[in-house]
Amino acid sequence: MNRRMLVNLALLGLLLVVLLALPYFGVSNFVLGLASTILIAAVLASSVNFLGGDGGMVSLGHGAIAAASAYAVGWASRQGLDSMTQVLLALVVTLVVSFLYGLLSMRTSGIYFLMVTLALGMLIYGLAFRLSSVTGGENGISGIAAPGNLHEEWIYYYVVLGIFVITTGALWVVSSSPFGASLRGLRDSESRMRSLGYSVAQYKLSAFMISGTVAGIAGVLAVWHTNFVSPSSAGVERSVLLVVMVILGGIGTLLGPLIGAAVVVLVENVLSSYVDRWPTALGLIFILVILFARAGVAGSVPKVLAKLRGRSPSATPPGDRSSPEGTAVPDRNHNP
Amino acid sequence: MFEPVFLAQQVLNGLSFGALLFLLASGLTLVFGLMKIVNMAHGAFYLLGGYIGVVIAGLTGNLLLAVITAVIVVAATAFIVEVVLLRFVRGQELPEVLLTIGVSFVIADLCLAVFGGDPQNLPTTATIPGALMIGDLVYPWYRIFVIGVAVAIGLGLAFVQTRTRIGAVVRAGVDDREIISAMGVNIAWVFTGMFVVGAGLAALGGTIGSGMQSILPGVQNEVLLYALVVIIIGGLGSVTGAAVGSVLIGLIDAFAKAWIPELAYFTIFLPMALVLVLRPTGLFGRTA
Repeated sequence: MNRRMLVNLALLGLLLVVLLALPYFGVSNFVLGLASTILIAAVLASSVNFLGGDGGMVSLGHGAIAAASAYAVGWASRQGLDSMTQVLLALVVTLVVSFLYGLLSMRTSGIYFLMVTLALGMLIYGLAFRLSSVTGGENGISGIAAPGNLHEEWIYYYVVLGIFVITTGALWVVSSSPFGASLRGLRDSESRMRSLGYSVAQYKLSAFMISGTVAGIAGVLAVWHTNFVSPSSAGVERSVLLVVMVILGGIGTLLGPLIGAAVVVLVENVLSSYVDRWPTALGLIFILVILFARAGVAGSVPKVLAKLRGRSPSATPPGDRSSPEGTAVPDRNHNP
Repeated sequence: MFEPVFLAQQVLNGLSFGALLFLLASGLTLVFGLMKIVNMAHGAFYLLGGYIGVVIAGLTGNLLLAVITAVIVVAATAFIVEVVLLRFVRGQELPEVLLTIGVSFVIADLCLAVFGGDPQNLPTTATIPGALMIGDLVYPWYRIFVIGVAVAIGLGLAFVQTRTRIGAVVRAGVDDREIISAMGVNIAWVFTGMFVVGAGLAALGGTIGSGMQSILPGVQNEVLLYALVVIIIGGLGSVTGAAVGSVLIGLIDAFAKAWIPELAYFTIFLPMALVLVLRPTGLFGRTA
């Protein structure tokens, strides 16, 4: 274990302590709710991050997967089913939707993957919007109560925090496993992996199932938090914001999704009450990050620190898991 | 439901919407064919062009003047976006797409700030009054005019691409950009030119389209998605494909909205998903 890892572990521990202690700082319910929103967005963003960072597959349809799961909870609660059944139904819907997404997208990569997921997201949006007998149409489904005493803001915050830690940890484990290494192999050179005997489509499908499941979990968390689901949660704007979060925070990094989610949610909820033009602000931040800090916040800060200490920023230790430029799409010249 | 007049009406609806889609999709597909960029700001260019067209047409009552102003302003915007932003990420697939998403955010939001959130339409003084009447069939001339504009633009693009030196340079750039730049063509400026032309076509679509459907915030995403569907079905980079895809999607959309409104979105994206799975390069796309 080298010094860099120790520093990272210490920072992670510190962050966890701060997050755990947040309700004891005497913050208002509004702030706690905001923190929960950020953590839920971070869970969803981490599912996009896993697929994009390790698999090189940037999805523009993950918002719709979460929405499908949220709709399952909403529909079940409107039928008067208990919360256990709601969750089970959400899980089934999530798995089916993820499987369909994966099946349709597993033979594509790069821009084409982006467009297939975009189209599938729009399909779900269209269904949510038009199939009003199930989804409530434009009005969505409201009054979806969280089970037990989860409606207490601070209890729910701890539940969300716990699930965030678990999913982030699980994704980290998957990404560190041989499976994760194979995924990064696919990202870097599909043709090479194919000639080594890997079934590319199968790996992509599995990766999508894992990522989709995490997105579905985020969908359940979100719908219990807002007690409401509407077609806009499946819209392309949601999915675009997820990609913005991932890129802002740093694609392929452990805490990138959390940082990105915090920035986007805060700009959306806090900055918007002071500045009318918050989408412009968000768009400009996004453009600047892509132009000058491609590795995102979590990827760039260590580089800048290293530079300040007079080391070459390229002196990353071997086995660095993030992609070099923070953009995990293979150069198109290397595509088969 | 199957009366001849109703069918004719829906066919004309489909064709005129398809014409609008072609104006959008041709620019998008040309830019993709040459530069390999999926320009996610294309819808925002349409939005900006539409607003400027509506304002100028409201001031002057002249559609031609409105179109020219809109095209010039949007082309200038696209020029700045290309030269100041896109050049820095040239050749990197993902950053290029993401950058245009950021640009789309900014343009759409600034449009909201300047032009407000109310739906806006081309003033009737600037459109073509009256309607075509054949027996029971009544159809507004303006929509037929839109079909005419799209056909003219399509023929013009085909002529330029196959019969002129500019077209030859563009086709060479699509085939092999290293060779064409080795032959003394500054490919970077060809890229800029193509991006500007694509944006100009979107602005033309925006202004003319605002006589058919309202311009309002959010429309940029809708038209972008329709255009993406069209060029994916037709084949990325193919103008012929864009034309066929536009007519196909226009007709499917018109009949779906009339017959099965509950599944209107579904009917558009299902063919696209099928094309992507069965023939990922699209109907007229070439294999990479």
